[in-house]
Amino acid sequence: MSKIKHFLEQSWLLIISAFCFGLLIAVTNAAWSPRIQQNEKGKLNNLMTGLITEAKNFQITIEDVEVLGKKGKITKTDIYQALDDSGSSAGFAFVATGAGFADKIKLVIAVDAKCEKFLGFKVLSSNETPGFGDRIKEDYFGDQFKKAPAGELQLVKTGNPETIDSEIVAISGATVSSEAVVKIFNTYIDKVKEQLQAKELKTNGQ
Amino acid sequence: MANKTSSAPLLGETFIVGLWRENPVFRLLLGMCPTLAVTAAVKPAFTMGLCVIFVLLCSNIIVSLMRNLLKPHLRILMFTLTISTFVTIADLFLRAFQPTMSEVLGPYVPLIIVNCIIICRAEACASKNRLFVSIIDALGMGAGFTVTLCVLAAVREILSTGAIWEIRILPAGFVPWAAMRMPVGAFITLGLLLGLVNVATKRNA
Amino acid sequence: MDTLNILLMGFISIVLINNLVFTKFLGICPYLGVSGRIDMAFGMGMAVTFVVTLSGTLTWLIDHLILMGTPLEVTRYVCFILVIAGAVQLVEMYVRKFFPSLYESFGIFLPLITTNCAILGLCLFINLWEIDNLLEAVVLSFGAGIGFTMAICIMAGIRENLNLADVPECLKGAPITLITAGLLTLAFMGFAGMIR
Repeated sequence: MSKIKHFLEQSWLLIISAFCFGLLIAVTNAAWSPRIQQNEKGKLNNLMTGLITEAKNFQITIEDVEVLGKKGKITKTDIYQALDDSGSSAGFAFVATGAGFADKIKLVIAVDAKCEKFLGFKVLSSNETPGFGDRIKEDYFGDQFKKAPAGELQLVKTGNPETIDSEIVAISGATVSSEAVVKIFNTYIDKVKEQLQAKELKTNGQ
Repeated sequence: MANKTSSAPLLGETFIVGLWRENPVFRLLLGMCPTLAVTAAVKPAFTMGLCVIFVLLCSNIIVSLMRNLLKPHLRILMFTLTISTFVTIADLFLRAFQPTMSEVLGPYVPLIIVNCIIICRAEACASKNRLFVSIIDALGMGAGFTVTLCVLAAVREILSTGAIWEIRILPAGFVPWAAMRMPVGAFITLGLLLGLVNVATKRNA
Repeated sequence: MDTLNILLMGFISIVLINNLVFTKFLGICPYLGVSGRIDMAFGMGMAVTFVVTLSGTLTWLIDHLILMGTPLEVTRYVCFILVIAGAVQLVEMYVRKFFPSLYESFGIFLPLITTNCAILGLCLFINLWEIDNLLEAVVLSFGAGIGFTMAICIMAGIRENLNLADVPECLKGAPITLITAGLLTLAFMGFAGMIR
């Protein structure tokens, strides 16, 4: 009994303050967590709206699409459908991840409503070399993907970046990063197309 | 009344001491990790400085209020508990109201917990002085830290993008030094700045 | 075989490519303070490796078994630092009692290590990178310690020679160490892109 008393005597302040601090954190979290979740959702929405400009809101059409990446690693992503004012489909968007030069690259890729052309991509997160690999965020590179056919893309070192076809001209000095982006597109597009067509077939069949 | 007037210059001096003579980064060489990590641009550096001021202030207040109740062998634990609570609150605040900054700063916000500055001030000052002195000390040290971070960030940002706080300053013809955005630039700039500070203090001494 | 491959790649990546000191700016304080002599540097490095492997594993376990998905997730930082502090305390008592010779060589650094950003930083990065199996977490923690040891020993070697060189008065001490660290970072950048 005296041992417990001694223990309490020594650490009563610790116990009480732990309790108070815990309470403080819980209250703050409860107050702000709806805002935090809204921010996280809003970020993806903002990027997708930037790609599909007519879209008014997004909803998840197909969840947990499994994509087989390199070395057999399976990553899951959700396909969002963009709806415009009249409620008809304005396109689809999904988050795609892949290995870049330095670290993982996360992209938001958008395709049009018929899944025939890419509408472009935006970088969600990347850790590429500033001044070199970082330039995948620039328009010079990104614009080549807009209206490109939604299929297998090929990276070339020289060519005309203005012509929109399935050839993408790499950024000089950043071949690996450019290649990484093209690889991400190629890895995901087959599966996404397959899933979207399956879903469309389903709704058409009804 | 007489007490207050005689201690007022002491309080002002405490503030200035934290700002220059015992500047946490340049003189005491504390808190290096965030200094190098977040100073790629002025905006994150300033945000980090404000967070540190907040945590330092709150922790100094709480520790000063509790200073007579602390058991000697449990005090580091108490300090750690207090600091980590306020850092969690600061992190939640950033994630709720400044999500872009929260992403840029990333894991370096919770690293404020192990920032030597805060624990050192709690140990050296707040646990021995009364509330008002602790507050002024926290503000002084925090201000010194923020100013240092902003100076370092300004140098790095101007050389790497030609802008400060995203406001273009250098002419468009300036070729940016990409190295300044990378860890290399951080280390070298801090080293050179420390050298400059050493020169300045030597001249004054 | 595939798991071994992933583990090996992860280990190499955190020792060379994503080295905690040179790319993530963690562990700078002891790095500047203790890298004066190679034997002290090695002792510090070993102590850090020991603690970081233990903490990395423990925090991963606590995160995945208790915190994730529950409302307690918001107390993550508090839990991490308390676990680290507790682990360091236990390790110190244990080493002092059962391995006194080992305590002589690196025991003095152990209390310093609790506030070492590298430990908490690594635990947070493991959380950030969403490592989802225990073995990978252990290997990454161990690799981080080894990377730190390597960085600090290289720096100690260079500093021992710098003592004999003609460094300008105002740059002696911390400034020249930082500049050297910057050049080392530049050198290590050459390893980037080594693994795809």
